[in-house]
Amino acid sequence: MSIANQPLLELKNITKRFKDLTAVNGVNLTVASGEKLVIIGPSGSGKSTLLRSINMLEEIEEGTINFEGREVGYILRNGKRHPDRPQAISALRAEIGMVFQHFHLFPHMTVLGNVMEGPVTVQRKTANEARSIAINILEKVGLSDKRDVFPATLSGGQKQRVAIARALAMRPKLMLFDEPTSALDPELVGEVFDTIHTLADEGMTMIIVTHHMGFARELADRVIFMESGSFLAQGTPEELFSIAHDNERIRGFLNRLL
Amino acid sequence: MRNNIGRVLLALLFLWTMAGNCLGAVDYDHLFRQSSDLMAQGDLDGALNLLKQVPTPAPGEDAGAFVSSRMQAARIHASQKAPDKAIADCQEVLALFPDNSEARNFVAALREQAKPAWHTVLSDTIRFLPSLAKGALTTLLLVLCTMLVSPLGGLLVALGRISTLRPISGLCWLIIWFFRGTPLLLQLFFIYYGLPSLGITMSPLSAAVLGLGLNYSAYLGEIIRGAIQSIDHGQMEAAKAIGMSYGQAMRRIIIPQTYKRLMPPIGNEFIALIKDTALVSTIAMVELMRAADQLFNTYFNITALALAAVIYLLLTTIFTFIFEKIEYRAGIYEHR
Repeated sequence: MSIANQPLLELKNITKRFKDLTAVNGVNLTVASGEKLVIIGPSGSGKSTLLRSINMLEEIEEGTINFEGREVGYILRNGKRHPDRPQAISALRAEIGMVFQHFHLFPHMTVLGNVMEGPVTVQRKTANEARSIAINILEKVGLSDKRDVFPATLSGGQKQRVAIARALAMRPKLMLFDEPTSALDPELVGEVFDTIHTLADEGMTMIIVTHHMGFARELADRVIFMESGSFLAQGTPEELFSIAHDNERIRGFLNRLL
Repeated sequence: MRNNIGRVLLALLFLWTMAGNCLGAVDYDHLFRQSSDLMAQGDLDGALNLLKQVPTPAPGEDAGAFVSSRMQAARIHASQKAPDKAIADCQEVLALFPDNSEARNFVAALREQAKPAWHTVLSDTIRFLPSLAKGALTTLLLVLCTMLVSPLGGLLVALGRISTLRPISGLCWLIIWFFRGTPLLLQLFFIYYGLPSLGITMSPLSAAVLGLGLNYSAYLGEIIRGAIQSIDHGQMEAAKAIGMSYGQAMRRIIIPQTYKRLMPPIGNEFIALIKDTALVSTIAMVELMRAADQLFNTYFNITALALAAVIYLLLTTIFTFIFEKIEYRAGIYEHR
C-alpha cells in the first residue's frame, strides 16, 4: 500500500465497557486523509466514547488504533495489553486536536495564552514563535480583537472558536469535535459552524460527533448513524437520508432533529 | 527607697525641731499638740487652721516650727485629695529653703500621683516594648519560616494523596492522619525533647519550624487536595488533549487555578499559625508569648499581656490584609 492511499486513522474492533454497559461494541472505522466524517445518533449511543477512545481519553478494552499506519496507544507486556508509555500517549494527542462540548478553555490564561499554551509547553516553541502562530490562528477564527481578554468575558460561540484555535495551534493531522455546538445558544451555533466549515474547506481531516444536522448535510463526506455502541448505517449524506427513508429508527431520529 | 530617705529626713527634721524648741526660741509645742488632738478627732480643717498660725520666720530666725507646720499641712491636704493645696504648702517651705529635700520629694510624689492613668500605661509600654518587640520578631520569624515550608509540604502531601500509586497515597494519608490527629504541643515536645534520645539534636528554632511545618503541611495538604479536586475535570482532559503530560497539566493548568480557592482557607490556617507559635514557648524559645509571660511574672503588670495581645492582633491584621490582596489578584481572571 502506498503512502498516498494509506488511511490516516484505522480503528479495528474497538470495544469499550463501563462496568456492565458496553458503550462501544466492536466498531471498525477507516478515515482517509482529508475526509470529513460526521457521527450522529441518540444520546448514550457511544459516539462520544468512540471519539474519546481515539485520543486515549478513554481506555478501550479491545481493539486496535492505527494512526498514520502505526499501531498506537497500547503495548503488550507479558501477553497483557497496557496503555502505552505516557510520553507516547502525549505525543499521539499532540497530533490530534480535540474540541469539547463545554470548551474547557483555561480560565486563568488570556485568549492568546490559551492558544499559545500547546506550542509553548508541549512543542517547546519559543514565546515569540508561539505568539505569531497564535495570532495567525486567532485571525483565522475571527477573534484577533479578543486576544488579551480572559475567557470569562467571551460568549459561548467565541469560547468555542478559541477552543478550536487552541487545538489548531498544535497543527494537528486530525481534528475531533465532540458535540461542538450542543452547549451553545441557537443564535451562536452559526459562527462555530462557519469556523469548522472553513477548516473543512482547507482540507482538514475531521470527525464530528453532533446533533446539528447542518454538519451532516453541508460538510460531511460520510455520515455514520450510531446506536447502542454500533454503527447502524453509514454513507454519504444523500445515501444516509435515503436509508433513513426505509429505516424507521433512523427516520424517527432525524425527524426529531430536523 | 525614696520613701525611706524621706522618712529618715523626716525623723531628722523632727529631732532638729525638738532641739530648736528646747533651745527655747518660740514655743509652738502647744499649737502642735492641739492640732494633733483635732486631727485625732477628725477635725482636719481645725488642725489646718492651727498649723497656719505658725508665721513665716524672718531671716535668721529659727524656721523649724514653720517647716514642720507647713509639711504637716501638706500631708493633711494630700490626705484630703487636694494635691494643689499640698503643693502650695510645700512651695511655702521651698520659697525659703529651695534645697529642702522633704518638700521637694513630696512635691515630686504629688505630681507623679497627679499624672493620668494613660501616662502610667505609656511608661510601662516604653519599658516593656523592647523585650516584647524582640519576642514578636521571633514569632514573625517562626511564622514566615512555616509559611514558606508548609505550602510546599502541603502540595507534596496533596499530590501524593491523589496519586494512583497506592504506596505513595497510603504514606501521605498516614502523614496527614498522624499530624492532624495528635496535639501540636505533643509533636513539638517529641521533636525537641524526644528526638535527642534517638541521636537527633536540633536548635529550638529548627525544632519549632520542623514541628510547625509538619503540622501545617498536614492541614494544608488536605486543603490543597480539596482545591485540586474541585477543579473541573474537563481542565485536565483539555490539557491532556493538547498533548500535555500529567505534570505539565498540574503545573500549568490545574494548580494555578487553585490559588484563588486556596487563599481563604490557607489564610485561616496562617492566622491560626500566628497564634499557635505561642506553643513554641514550651521548647525554650522566647517568642512573643514567652516574653510577655516573663514580664508579667517579673512585674505583676497586666500591661505586658495586653501589649502582647495588641501585637498579636497587629500581626493577624496585617496578614489578613495581605491574604485578601493576594486572593483578589489570584482571581482577577474571573472578573468580567
